[in-house]
Amino acid sequence: MKEMKRYSLTLTVNNETHAVVTPPNRTLLEVLRDDLQLTGTKEGCGEGACGSCTVLVDGQPVRSCLTLAVAMEGRKITTIEGLAQGGKLHPIQAAFVENHAIQCGFCGPGMILTSQALLNDNPTPAEGEIRRAISGNVCRCTGYAKIVKAVQSLAGEER
Amino acid sequence: MEKFTLIGKNMKRIDTAAKATGEAIFSADLTLPRMLIGKALRSPYPHARIVAIDTSKAERLPGVKAVITAKDMCGDKWGVFRYTQDQQFLPTEKVRYVGEEVAAVAAIDEDTALQALTLIDVQYEALPSVFTIDDAIAAGAPQLHDAYPNNINVHVKIDVGDIEKGFNESYLVREDTFSAPEDAYFQGEPYAVVAQFDQAGNLEIWMPNAGPHMKAKPLSNVLKIPLNKVRVRKITIGGAFGGRSEISPADVICAFLARKALRPVKIVYTREENTVATRQAHALVTKIKTGVDREGKVLARDITCHMDGGAYSSTGPIATSVPFLCMEQAYRMDNVRYNGYRILTNKPIRGMYRVHGRAFACGIDIQLDMIGAALGIDPLTMRLRNARQTGDYTPTKSYVASCGMTESIVKAGEKSGWKEKFGKLPPYHGIGIGCNSVQTGFPMGIRGGSQAFIKLNEDGGITVITGIVDNGQGNDNMVVQIAAEELGLTPDDVQLISADTEVTPSDPGSYAMCETFIGGNAVRLAAQDVKKKLFRIVAGEFGIGVDNLTARDRKIFVTENPEKSMSIAKAVRIALSRNESISGEGSYWPNVDPKREWVKNPYGQLSETFSFGTVIAEVKVDPETGQVEVLEVTAAQDVGFALNPQVIEGQFEGGVAMGGQGGMLSEFLQWHEGRVLNPTQFGYLVPLAIDMPKINNIIVETIDPNGPYGAKEAGMSVAMSAAQAYCGAISNAVGVYFHDYPITPDKIVKAIEEKRN
Repeated sequence: MKEMKRYSLTLTVNNETHAVVTPPNRTLLEVLRDDLQLTGTKEGCGEGACGSCTVLVDGQPVRSCLTLAVAMEGRKITTIEGLAQGGKLHPIQAAFVENHAIQCGFCGPGMILTSQALLNDNPTPAEGEIRRAISGNVCRCTGYAKIVKAVQSLAGEER
Repeated sequence: MEKFTLIGKNMKRIDTAAKATGEAIFSADLTLPRMLIGKALRSPYPHARIVAIDTSKAERLPGVKAVITAKDMCGDKWGVFRYTQDQQFLPTEKVRYVGEEVAAVAAIDEDTALQALTLIDVQYEALPSVFTIDDAIAAGAPQLHDAYPNNINVHVKIDVGDIEKGFNESYLVREDTFSAPEDAYFQGEPYAVVAQFDQAGNLEIWMPNAGPHMKAKPLSNVLKIPLNKVRVRKITIGGAFGGRSEISPADVICAFLARKALRPVKIVYTREENTVATRQAHALVTKIKTGVDREGKVLARDITCHMDGGAYSSTGPIATSVPFLCMEQAYRMDNVRYNGYRILTNKPIRGMYRVHGRAFACGIDIQLDMIGAALGIDPLTMRLRNARQTGDYTPTKSYVASCGMTESIVKAGEKSGWKEKFGKLPPYHGIGIGCNSVQTGFPMGIRGGSQAFIKLNEDGGITVITGIVDNGQGNDNMVVQIAAEELGLTPDDVQLISADTEVTPSDPGSYAMCETFIGGNAVRLAAQDVKKKLFRIVAGEFGIGVDNLTARDRKIFVTENPEKSMSIAKAVRIALSRNESISGEGSYWPNVDPKREWVKNPYGQLSETFSFGTVIAEVKVDPETGQVEVLEVTAAQDVGFALNPQVIEGQFEGGVAMGGQGGMLSEFLQWHEGRVLNPTQFGYLVPLAIDMPKINNIIVETIDPNGPYGAKEAGMSVAMSAAQAYCGAISNAVGVYFHDYPITPDKIVKAIEEKRN
């Protein structure tokens, strides 16, 4: 097989910089999972429809399965591994755990990051705003009720 | 003092923090040293003879470490039952559906593995195919298997009472036909397997599973190695919903590749492969004839059901029976005949699904609405008049030890405002009700029971060892909750070793909703065994009887005088110093009739107990677009006893999403000549947060005499009855009874147009 040209780039992930060498066709998802061993980011559909691979790029939710790694130089990437600090759950993670918003947990990382991005932009979202914000993240287990409740529990604190 | 410290409380699940941080490892997340990537070559034909397979070019491709075909296996056929052994993991003679595995490769990376697949040359001789039930059973139809003449895979016949007499005595008799195409499980996690052999020939294998022991036995059979060399390991599992219990060709292929390459191999399915090449839910057509008296009480039913099972048996005999059994449990019917046929077609394999047989359940229920309308009886009253009761026997002779069917109907009716709403809503608003009942296990042969061990440490902590598996529903937490409760410990004092076939004893798996009832009872008995031994030590030290002691807060104390206590750690140390065993063992075998057999003898105790659920849905239909807006859903289920109420609510809410919102409004597979047209996330419409209505949860508790603390199951009755409630509500809103599901906007618009004309 013909070797594709490889590119060197620096990725900033969870406030750490990583030197990565990769062919240009690899996705951010592949580099995060396979090169950086950040397997908290999941692949559910590979076509940008399920939201399981969501990471934050400069604070905004992005589908890492549709994002080329080489385009991420100089951007600030946050994965699920970057939320908890000092062994303590981030408030959004704690809210998901407390409110039973996680069952099988496969959609959890993406769902949590999307929810946090919403709260960063809008600390007091109404229920409808929460539902709209997370409607790009598919959960097959929960019926979403407890996920909405988890996000609402933090929105309430801000009010 | 409260009776329980943990049981019945909203306990935070022990597994979800690791899931929230991304630390939880799923199968696809695993990486082993020297690991290869495996890929399967799949049949492009729905039905074809395999003339020759040439893998030489693929084998020569640099980076390819193993290629396997049927020649590498012994031609064994797998089946859940002795009489359904019909599937080879790589077929020798012919392929029977588009997507069936024909060969597989393991290579140093995915790109190389995919390229190698293109270099495998398979010569096929295309055969005529059948894609529908009618075509498959037509005279002269192409045959899939010699063992199943006319492509009839399974015929379940149940005949109870005297249906002719029942129909003769009926005031009103109706016959209707209902149907639905296939649906998909669409678990969050696509299927993935990792396998490796050690130098002693032991297999270690990780995959999403609904029963590690269910996976280990066929692996042992096909690899020709003893069971104690098959180590299905525990891994986080991204949903099962009835699937993932049986062995999958991917498991076997991965193990064979690993053995041939002498390196670990990982296979990760694409979303499309997960939809096509794991399991799908059956399509079915069912004809239901029901006779009732003037008051709407059912006097006779005659049901004929044809299910499209795809290319192989899978759990065929079970799948053919369960839709009927759920309804014979939910509603009284003294005179009933059931003829269930599972038909083979050149389509992917069908298994058991959480909302198995939606057209069957919806048919039974919506027909009650039709009959009620003719008699002037509202749907809720129709259900009350036919509801199963505690102490009944089902037609197929299962004793019903606890039953909250009536209570769930009444409570759901009150909460939803049924009386104020039914028949009084504005045009295109509707309300509907559905009822269902689900087993907590059934006769599963040698693997019908569960065993558990508990080991104590000198600091008073314990390790629970059980075969129970957690697919995401919270079974791990259930185990810890029960063990900690019984022994007066905190959840942090309990370590769990589970779902690992090397060290954990036999267990039926998370199948047929049996883990809480069967596995939970086994864990509870093991904890009680430990408690008895600890109490004996403490009673001896205190010079009192064992009956006067209580375990709580890591202590064992005199019930009447809590000041007098001994820490559990100290009791353990005393036992150790005396060389006295304090390990615990528990074993639970459910009271089911071992002579009951799905086809040969479908009578006798099916399951030790049953859950009962009612869902009421209120909808608004846009007559121009056919869009359905679901305003509110009320879900009530008799779960026996709620061990962890928020976990149960989560099951109800997820059940409404899967059975009602998805199962009745949007989810179905589309086909062209045996090919799935919508296998991907964009094509198959599962509900999103924005789609979901407000859900009222009502937990009904009947305290089952034999469930652990009275618990039964919580995962299915709501999911199934949600489909029925949505069907009733839309029919009520439109003023037309729907017979074909799911009820998509095109069907609604068509029904409204036909009604206008």
